[in-house]
Amino acid sequence: MPGWQIALIMMILYLVIALFVGVMAGRGRDSSSLDEFAVAGGKLGLFVMWFLMGGAVFSAFSFLGAPGWAYSKGAPALYIITYTAFAILPWYIIGPKIGKIGRKYRLYTVAGFLKGRFNSPVLAILVGLIALFASIQYLATQMSGMAIIFNTLTEGRIPFWLGALLSYGIVVVYVATGGLRAAAWSDVFQGILMILISWIVGLTIVYQLHGGTTEMFESIARETPEFLQIGKEGSSMGTVAYTTTILVSVIGFLMWPHLFSKSYASNSRTIKKTVLAYPIFALFLVPLLLVGFAAKGVVDSGQLESADQVLPYLITTVMNLPGWLYGLVGAGALAAAMSTADAITHSASLEVTDGVIKSIWKDLSDKTTLLIMRVGVFVIGALAYYITVFGGQGLVALLLGAYGSIVQFAPGVYSALFWRRATTHGVISGLVVGTIVNYYFQLVATSTPFGIHAGILGLVSNIVIMVTVSYVTRAQTEDEVNRYVDVA
Amino acid sequence: MSKSKFNTIYIAVGLIPFLMLVFPFFEIANRATPIIFGLPFSFFWVILWIVITFVTLVILYRLDPDQDEEEDV
Repeated sequence: MPGWQIALIMMILYLVIALFVGVMAGRGRDSSSLDEFAVAGGKLGLFVMWFLMGGAVFSAFSFLGAPGWAYSKGAPALYIITYTAFAILPWYIIGPKIGKIGRKYRLYTVAGFLKGRFNSPVLAILVGLIALFASIQYLATQMSGMAIIFNTLTEGRIPFWLGALLSYGIVVVYVATGGLRAAAWSDVFQGILMILISWIVGLTIVYQLHGGTTEMFESIARETPEFLQIGKEGSSMGTVAYTTTILVSVIGFLMWPHLFSKSYASNSRTIKKTVLAYPIFALFLVPLLLVGFAAKGVVDSGQLESADQVLPYLITTVMNLPGWLYGLVGAGALAAAMSTADAITHSASLEVTDGVIKSIWKDLSDKTTLLIMRVGVFVIGALAYYITVFGGQGLVALLLGAYGSIVQFAPGVYSALFWRRATTHGVISGLVVGTIVNYYFQLVATSTPFGIHAGILGLVSNIVIMVTVSYVTRAQTEDEVNRYVDVA
Repeated sequence: MSKSKFNTIYIAVGLIPFLMLVFPFFEIANRATPIIFGLPFSFFWVILWIVITFVTLVILYRLDPDQDEEEDV
């Protein structure tokens, strides 16, 4: 049997199991409960929580993009493990606090969280919309990742539209039926699978091509030492760009609604233990970087459409690997993409319902809200699919801009938790200005001063405006502030 | 230990290793050789600090005044 057939069978088999796990996880729970759908009743355990947070970061980007970065840029790819390990740390302090506030006022989103302190429907709508656009962009990347995997590993036999439809369709079904719990248990299964696969495949490739990592790096260090350095003559990235890219990822990470709202889904102890165990997840990414370094000098970059295809290209074209290994890579990459896509689809639907719809129609019953959330999963799924397959032309810039704007939630969120003098107008104007500055430097300007990341420029203006406007507007009442800041 | 004191120590413990991994401090390790455990020095340095952070946080957790708090609300 040719390699692609074995690969196809294994990937289909994986999808069937993923659907089964997802649907079974949601069964036997109270399917009419809003709390169950949104935050799994606030009762997820350590094991599940760890995979839920980890699965979300282990995305199509890590499976295809991390080798791509290591292959095309070299040492700057280290930013991926650095930010993964450190971005979670603030959660130890803010997670339990957000969780307590959330349980007190029955919150389940970022939009709802900010609305609770600042009493502003405008702010909630703004956050809801940015979250929606950013999520669609994120989903479109995951989906094209899944489609590319299907397409390359079956040597072009499964067209792009079908690969995306098959794998993402399954995600939509289990998220709409089982809510957060289904996403969580799928992530456990998918997480274990992709960790095992990245180690097996990563080490196989390095040893087959180079006989070991020492030999591999010795030859790179001999021929192009600047490839293993940052900010040197001939390196692919400067020191300022490297540092600010890490900073923006570290600050923005917990602001993603699908990660932020997990604070509501568990108790303080579980959150803290998840943070402690999390850096291990960063180390799981190491073999994927090794794959990229292994391709250096072996794969001629002219043969690739984009650096992200280096892993599937190595497996199918360069190396003579057995078909089951094709299949493993396919299943691992699908698992990585799906475990991110499920959490994002779920949270995007929640943010829009809570931030936008509930700010316009204020008196919705729990039953109606839950129905809107379930329908939202399908609508968002369809939108993301449309963008992925047909492209959005004019929309693409909007989505990309929103994607980079998530980090702009940070000043508002930290102020809501810790800063008594913050005012509604301050937070809104900071968010708007920060988003515009970020948008300008990311999409309009061709370069940024000193190579500073656009997100950091946005953040600095965001904070300056937020603080200034807060001081010139009237402070909130003691009571409004204490509801949040005094929660121990 | 009080909660705010714990938070201060926690932030310091998280921040120091982080600073070692971004510039200007990362310059210390910004080179390809020597190759340690099969990894270039910069790569090894990143992993080393992640492991150090992991170990210190696990120790720190035992000192957290709130670690046994019962569920709230």
